[in-house]
Amino acid sequence: MTDPILEVRGLSTHFFTDDGEVKAVRGVSFGVEPGETLGIVGESGCGKSVTAMSILGLVQRPGKVVAGEIMFKGSDLLKLTKEELRNIRGRDIAMIFQDPLSSLNPVLRVGYQIDEAMYAHDKIPRDQVERRGIDLLKQVRVSDAERRINDFPHQFSGGMRQRAMIAMGLSNKPDLLIADEPTTALDVTVQAQILELLRDLNEQTGAAIILITHNLGVVAGLCKRVLVMYAGEIVEEGTAEQIFERPQHPYTWSLLRSVPRIDANRGHRLLSIEGLPPDLIDLPQGCKFNPRCPFRVERCFKESPPIEQVAPAQHAACWVTMERAYAEMGAGTITDTSPGAASGVHPDGRRALPAAEVPAAVAEAGQ
Amino acid sequence: MTDTVVAPAPRVVPAVEPLLRVVNVVKHFGAGVGSSVKAVDGVSFDILPGETVGLVGESGCGKSTLGRLITQLIPVTSGEVVLDGVDITRLRGEKLRQQRKQLQMIFQDPYASLDPRMTVGDIIAEPLVNFKMISGRAKDARVQELLRTVGLNPYFNNRYPHEFSGGQRQRIGIARALALNPRLIICDEPVSALDVSIQAQIINLLEDLQREFTLTYLFIAHDLSVVRHISNRVMVMYLGKIVEVAPSEDLYTSQEHPYTRALLSSIPVPDPRIESKRRLVELSGEIPSPLNPPSGCRFHTRCPIAQVPGVCADVEPPLELKGDGHLAACHFSEQVRTKIAITV
Repeated sequence: MTDPILEVRGLSTHFFTDDGEVKAVRGVSFGVEPGETLGIVGESGCGKSVTAMSILGLVQRPGKVVAGEIMFKGSDLLKLTKEELRNIRGRDIAMIFQDPLSSLNPVLRVGYQIDEAMYAHDKIPRDQVERRGIDLLKQVRVSDAERRINDFPHQFSGGMRQRAMIAMGLSNKPDLLIADEPTTALDVTVQAQILELLRDLNEQTGAAIILITHNLGVVAGLCKRVLVMYAGEIVEEGTAEQIFERPQHPYTWSLLRSVPRIDANRGHRLLSIEGLPPDLIDLPQGCKFNPRCPFRVERCFKESPPIEQVAPAQHAACWVTMERAYAEMGAGTITDTSPGAASGVHPDGRRALPAAEVPAAVAEAGQ
Repeated sequence: MTDTVVAPAPRVVPAVEPLLRVVNVVKHFGAGVGSSVKAVDGVSFDILPGETVGLVGESGCGKSTLGRLITQLIPVTSGEVVLDGVDITRLRGEKLRQQRKQLQMIFQDPYASLDPRMTVGDIIAEPLVNFKMISGRAKDARVQELLRTVGLNPYFNNRYPHEFSGGQRQRIGIARALALNPRLIICDEPVSALDVSIQAQIINLLEDLQREFTLTYLFIAHDLSVVRHISNRVMVMYLGKIVEVAPSEDLYTSQEHPYTRALLSSIPVPDPRIESKRRLVELSGEIPSPLNPPSGCRFHTRCPIAQVPGVCADVEPPLELKGDGHLAACHFSEQVRTKIAITV
């Protein structure tokens, strides 16, 4: 095992809004090894993007990193001055975002914008910048790069814009590329091309990639290791095989069964996760997933489960884990996914009605 | 293909009278002197009562326009939309309004499709009031019944849309669509704005409602996995034309059009082992402009097996029967599976 190039320890980022303190990211720790492809998956509001923004020092008021360390090449990014951080951002750590159109300046030529990133950091010798700009555009497979480099962003299609953003991100040969939902705005055929490009670039340049997405399929195709986030915390971490084949956290497990798969036999019912993610201002006691978890036990309401090793290289934050849920709660044959359905635990005294009598989201609406 | 599943609607011998028949529908949007965007360019299909038909394609293929043409939210340039035996493109005014009661729509954006200044109760009751179906206590009772039907608390009728989450708002939109007891519901990307865990709730709800009220759906979406899951048959659209219609069971195993095959090869599966074997069929270039679609087969400029110069560039392939309930518009459909590999 090599030393990680990035190590996040105990990161907490909160937003101080008029409605209260939104605890968007709480105690998140993980490392990224050189050349690794790490996926961070979760739904809106789970804290995956805020984690990335925190790494890059891009969290803006009313948000603030309230605790933690972000070690990159021996220094804590949270302790650097703005100037020092600017020297790392775009040079050693690059980022690409969901919407490539709003990330590009509409009145400047694409080539100018790619070159600008290289001039700004002086890592690439100045006389090589223009040549490298064209080479980069070729590398990200924009055809007729010599001519297209003089185009304006509006002359590029959505997929080409994202390619240009990737070219820009790679221009200073970064050690780490953070891609936040890079394909979400794109059509599926274009998405597939961008992912293939990222895969190839990771192999060719050795740049590590953190891919942030809500799309489980996208992660399975690109990432060797996966973090699953829920309500501001990492609930499970493991290799892609472990997360997709032997998930131990009920949230990961449910999420995988709630998406229709193109290769699945038809006619089965999707397992839905009832209810909504919790309010980040007013979090539930104990495990944050307990209000939606079919496998919850009494302890889940009182104590927050720590993230612990459940298999070699796999960690989960759950008092029950799916191994026990399969052995003792019939997880393999579950049809009712309402909270506490499999474990029978309803500590508020309310006995769950049979699923047929309770429309899917009465619980959801009651919140 | 197994023959135990719901019968696909064969165009040749319809066993049942279709609920909806779309005949050669064309929509051209004017785009300056002498040019027009050919958004929908000659589309025909049937939907049988109780069936769910999926319509899939990438941005700009015309799928949403087609949905709006069927509901007559925009007028057709030519063609017929026959709903329950009546061509609604020829109806105007009150007659159209009455016929359209049978047809409702659910929209993509649960934030934009509900009036923020109306209470949920008023939103759901609006169609009832509009058609003077019901009023007073009976109306309130019906609203509460509808809220319960879509899994919401029936006493939330006095709340406003902003008090609800995205998934709950989509339920409100569904309740509104159900208010008039429609027979056909056009669902235009009903789950694509929702989070993964909420998507499943809405998909399951739509399936339950279909069983309960014998609804017929046209389900429009860009996500082929979702469309295939919910639909009996799937239609694939490219550049204003339907290029393939297949029973959902067949779609994953046998494709008769190269575009469908390419689309399928692009869809990531949440399984790293399958992902490592998936081979992407790269389509060359970009989708051509609908202002000036390519000659012959519209897909020939990007098709991996097109014969150009030759028949593909010269002759437009008709949408024809290739198998049991399976139609495709391709001159070389028999080569699609042998010549285009999608696994390594």
